[in-house]
Amino acid sequence: MKQITARIAWSLGLILAVIVMCFTLIHLAPGDVAIVIAGDSGAGDPEVIAEIREDLGLDQPFVVQLGGYVGDVAQGDLGTSYRFNEPVTDLITTRLWPTFLLVGTAVSFAIVLGVLVGVFTARRPENPISHGVTVFSLTGYSMPVFWTGLMLVIMFASNVRWFPVSGMRDVRLDGNWLEEWIDIAHHLVLPSITLGVIYLAQYSRLSRASMLEVLQSDYVRTARAKGLAERRVVYKHALRNAVIPVVTVAGLQFGQMLSGALLVETVFNWPGLGRLASDSVFQRDAPVLLGILICSASLVVIINILTDLVYRLIDPRIRVGGAS
Amino acid sequence: MDPLLSVRGLTVTFGSFTAVEDVSFDIHAGQTLAVVGESGSGKSVTALSIMRLVELGTRGKIEAGEILFRNSDGEVIDLVRQREDQMREIRGNQISMIFQEPLTSLNPVYSVGDQVAEAVILHQGLDKEAANERVLDMFRLVRIPEPEERMAQFPHEMSGGMRQRVMIAMALSCDPKVLIADEPTTALDVTIQAQILGLMRDLREQTGAAVLIITHDMGVVAEVADDVVVMNRAKVVERGPVTQIFESATEPYTQALLASVPRLGSMTGLDKPAPFELVEYQP
Repeated sequence: MKQITARIAWSLGLILAVIVMCFTLIHLAPGDVAIVIAGDSGAGDPEVIAEIREDLGLDQPFVVQLGGYVGDVAQGDLGTSYRFNEPVTDLITTRLWPTFLLVGTAVSFAIVLGVLVGVFTARRPENPISHGVTVFSLTGYSMPVFWTGLMLVIMFASNVRWFPVSGMRDVRLDGNWLEEWIDIAHHLVLPSITLGVIYLAQYSRLSRASMLEVLQSDYVRTARAKGLAERRVVYKHALRNAVIPVVTVAGLQFGQMLSGALLVETVFNWPGLGRLASDSVFQRDAPVLLGILICSASLVVIINILTDLVYRLIDPRIRVGGAS
Repeated sequence: MDPLLSVRGLTVTFGSFTAVEDVSFDIHAGQTLAVVGESGSGKSVTALSIMRLVELGTRGKIEAGEILFRNSDGEVIDLVRQREDQMREIRGNQISMIFQEPLTSLNPVYSVGDQVAEAVILHQGLDKEAANERVLDMFRLVRIPEPEERMAQFPHEMSGGMRQRVMIAMALSCDPKVLIADEPTTALDVTIQAQILGLMRDLREQTGAAVLIITHDMGVVAEVADDVVVMNRAKVVERGPVTQIFESATEPYTQALLASVPRLGSMTGLDKPAPFELVEYQP
């Protein structure tokens, strides 16, 4: 418990550092939001621009702007979007769950299938299917996310029309909650496969290597010497030990997966945080961009703490603070 | 009296390498047979072959020979010819095994109580509660102090001696007729070694099980064995009752093995130990 409290305190410091760094970077970036807003409204004269700058507090010194922003964030206020003129918190919360849904489905798909494939290939290394799976893993690992996405769209949405091309919902649908969920799930298939396939390749290779090692261990021999069936030896005694590296890597890669989601959301027009982020970059919508960066950093930190907790559940040696 | 377990002409290969060649010996109920030899002589492979574990997870193959075992029904069966599902009925139940390194031989992510209970539930068909009672009895039998608390502990929370007691409890939990101990004291310090050997001797007397002990330590042999089989380079070099082997070994390899045990004063006048002369077995 003490360790977890220390981790949380340390994480808060980390998030503060992220805020300061991102704020500074955005401040240093070329381009003036006042000009963009003035340009959009069709009034580009210097007086209007100065007025906009004053309204947004952009005429204040950098340190004052930073201090004000940190104070607001501490109170849960991420500011107002220049572009949508809506609280950033509202914008992020409405976009957060589609991203969660996408990343969560992709992670689950990659971990569950990756581990099953890894176990299969470790148990039957000489089986032709194992060789095929290894080749598939390497291919999956080598494909860029946006290319995979486009290929899946061409094959399964354009040619055979099994899945929708883009979006999260069919706007024509007027049904009950179940039909809505089925519709969302239908839209989710291609984006989550696109995002998950690269991690599927990694996790299957990782769990294969880990499983091969664990299957040679003394405690697996003990389990066999007890007279347990091979299935129980593998899925009870070996698997729990073999998934430890997969959990580590999955936890560490969560940040990467969020950035991968940005590309996937763009390709599939998925209404998540990634698309909001890319739109905000082009529109110089600094509060939204900063809000998303803080939100992503916090998510990465939270996931890392959760990974630690999962570790403790899987491996009792970590629970007491280290192996003997 | 007919032997409980009789190994006849056992040959085991790993690809083109022969790990065990034409090995034969008998074990009788209530007796301890020690298989001795240096590392790589084929002792452990012999033990794993009796359990038919040599074919699981390794490239080992039993090429020839038979392993005749008198089972609980008094029927003599050849273990080499049993199907895998038939072997699973025998493993951990009628023939069980303890290993050299108790820390790595216990699964680090399950409590020791659960690991012992698993064998009891599997072979004796007990429910979880009855199995836990059985585990408690076994922990008391192998003299684990505070058995209730120990049951919930994980292997890394125990000392080496306690872990090996857990392994012995696991092996004896289903009242096996044969207990195979593969270097059970090698990873333990000397005082704990003596305790574990004493425990094994007592348990053999209490349960009447036959014990096959694999070791390279002649001290252990002198302590526990009734009969001895000496192995070198995959073959049996010499066999006989323990007194005969210690007092009048005929084979030069056995004599060299006995001479390799350091004795008090054997280094007098020497600045380093004398090298062990390799003796080739000439059949």
